[in-house]
Amino acid sequence: MPADTSAGPAAAAGATAAASVIHDLGYQRYDGPRLGRVQIVRALAWHSFRSAFGLGRGAKAKILPLIALAALCLPAIVNAFAMSNGNPRVVPYDTYQPALRVLVMTVFVAVQAPELVSRDLRSRVLPLYFARPIKTIDYPLAKYLAFTAACLVMMEVPLLLLYAGSIANVHGGAAVWAQTRALIPGLLVGLMWAVVLAAISLFLASLTGRRALATGAVAIFFLMTFTLAEILIAAEGQPLGSQGPQAVQNGGPAQPVIAASSLAEKVSGLFSPFTLFDGVRMWLGGTDPADGVTNPGGFGAVYALVLVIITALCLAGLAARYRKARLS
Amino acid sequence: MPHPAGVAPGADPAGRRSRGGGIVTVKGDARGGGAWDPRAMTPSTGSGDPPTAEAAAGNAAPAVIEATALTKVYPGDVTALGGLTVRFAPGVTGLIGANGAGKSTLIKILLGLVAPTSGSATVLGHDCVAGGEQIRRVVGYMPEHDCLPPDVSATEFVTHMGRMTGLPATAARERAAEALRHVGLHEERYRQIGTYSTGMKQRVKLAQALAGDPRLLLLDEPTNGLDPAGRNAMLELIERIGLEFGISIVVASHLLGEIERICDHLVAIEGGRLLRADTIDSFTRSSQTLLIEVEEGLAALHDELIRRGLRPTAYQRSLLVPIGGDATYDTVRDTVADLGLPLSRMEQRRHQVEELFRDSDAATQPGSALGFADPSATPEAADAR
Repeated sequence: MPADTSAGPAAAAGATAAASVIHDLGYQRYDGPRLGRVQIVRALAWHSFRSAFGLGRGAKAKILPLIALAALCLPAIVNAFAMSNGNPRVVPYDTYQPALRVLVMTVFVAVQAPELVSRDLRSRVLPLYFARPIKTIDYPLAKYLAFTAACLVMMEVPLLLLYAGSIANVHGGAAVWAQTRALIPGLLVGLMWAVVLAAISLFLASLTGRRALATGAVAIFFLMTFTLAEILIAAEGQPLGSQGPQAVQNGGPAQPVIAASSLAEKVSGLFSPFTLFDGVRMWLGGTDPADGVTNPGGFGAVYALVLVIITALCLAGLAARYRKARLS
Repeated sequence: MPHPAGVAPGADPAGRRSRGGGIVTVKGDARGGGAWDPRAMTPSTGSGDPPTAEAAAGNAAPAVIEATALTKVYPGDVTALGGLTVRFAPGVTGLIGANGAGKSTLIKILLGLVAPTSGSATVLGHDCVAGGEQIRRVVGYMPEHDCLPPDVSATEFVTHMGRMTGLPATAARERAAEALRHVGLHEERYRQIGTYSTGMKQRVKLAQALAGDPRLLLLDEPTNGLDPAGRNAMLELIERIGLEFGISIVVASHLLGEIERICDHLVAIEGGRLLRADTIDSFTRSSQTLLIEVEEGLAALHDELIRRGLRPTAYQRSLLVPIGGDATYDTVRDTVADLGLPLSRMEQRRHQVEELFRDSDAATQPGSALGFADPSATPEAADAR
């Protein structure tokens, strides 16, 4: 094998030369500071928050979040124009534009929650995170914090724009104060939306590494439950519709029938996160827009409880999902 | 060519073994010179080869990994590890076992990701149940399977992973660039990982493990899915990291023949139990032979070598001569020269570790195999004598 004889030393010499070049450049130890677990989680959360808006990704990843944010800001801009022409504020802080918000937020969480969790599942990068000096729970925690913050931006930035546009067109401290007082409940409603939507959508998205599937699951969950609740509310909410007379014919007194119907209507509101938000908002003293969800009154406590339970379950599910992923 | 020795120099362009024992230039080979006497040999290899010197002192140096009666039983009574007691010395250690032998479970336990059912283990002095986070701070892990997002660049990915190891933002960027340069991806580092070849992806996986400046690397089947050239390049890289970067490395593999040449130590497990753990030299020391290949006149050489007091054995189209010291090389060289034969290869041949395992497999029960299966008893070694 003459080829071997000639190639062997040559290759060896070449490789040794290459190795010595590398050696000259040198491997450098790292003696600088190392961040603790909390700071690593913060870094991961910041990274995830940015990726929720497509920052640090290609241009394509930025399109949808930006369109969504712009769409949500539109009413605030319209309002600013209206007010600059001397009209009173046309968009309320606490409900904003309900239909627009439901639609855009559904699209936003359906597309961006998989961006945060399904990608990592799909590319099987999770073992690398678990091999870092953090606890397993830190990963879903960071993702949840990041996505809550992202949803919060989506909810609050339009409100702040609305506020800015409003106070620019009112005069006097009292008027500004009135706007500010109206804004605060709106911000709190936004917080409620963000906390709950992030939990539900991340949990659903974390169930599959296939992004399209995850997006579909989240979108279908929100749209289906919302449609279901709307239909039920519409059906139960007809004050003297089909059931009323029938119930009377059954011999029952009229008063309880109306009360029962009203309870059914309130129960109907439990079927969708969006109707729950609205119910809790009214329970806490928000305005009653007459259409949409019935004011639950005291039953609003149940709405709040259901929201808390849903959020807790989703977060527990999210944590369990990653505990399982670590062991597999 | 049926690959007689597994250490053909052409197949191993820069491995440390061939630097020491490839084409034998008679005097230049410290290893070959004293190899027949392992006690005499180990200090002599210390010249210009620090990790091997470390390895020679292996038993005295503090262990990198120490496992005691480590047992992991998964639900359903699946025993992944059954009372594994083993220590890993500094340097490059091969963790050998068939698929399902418990390699990956061992690595997960060592990283503190899976709790052992019983027994204990320490990594760099940290207990792997209580000190998982400290371990993961100083250990780099390269998983067996794909673990790279396709739509980010290698730089971004390794930087992010460096951040996750606890590096501040600037340091993470610098060290990501460094790590990618060390694995040979400097030029391509801004390209999206999805456009990389398998070999390049493996390098990115190695780079992300390297970025946090670990004291120990756990590499799970690093040559998985690579073609022969890619395998060699990867092994060379691992060897260099062990040698020049001073990082201890555990290379898990089911391909013994492949990683034996870059390892200082071998730990073989089977069915969750220790088959054998020792330095690579101990695995092979009693089987030093010299392989001689000539283009013609094999029979004449054979006879002449016998006349000069050596004991050559025909092995395929070459001769194997037991090495009895420096004189053996001189005798062979002189014989070939005197006969005027066209010498095409002369190579110090280590007994392939795989053969030893095959034999110790048959000879000893797993678990009681800490002791040596006498390699000289193997047919192959006997053959060589």
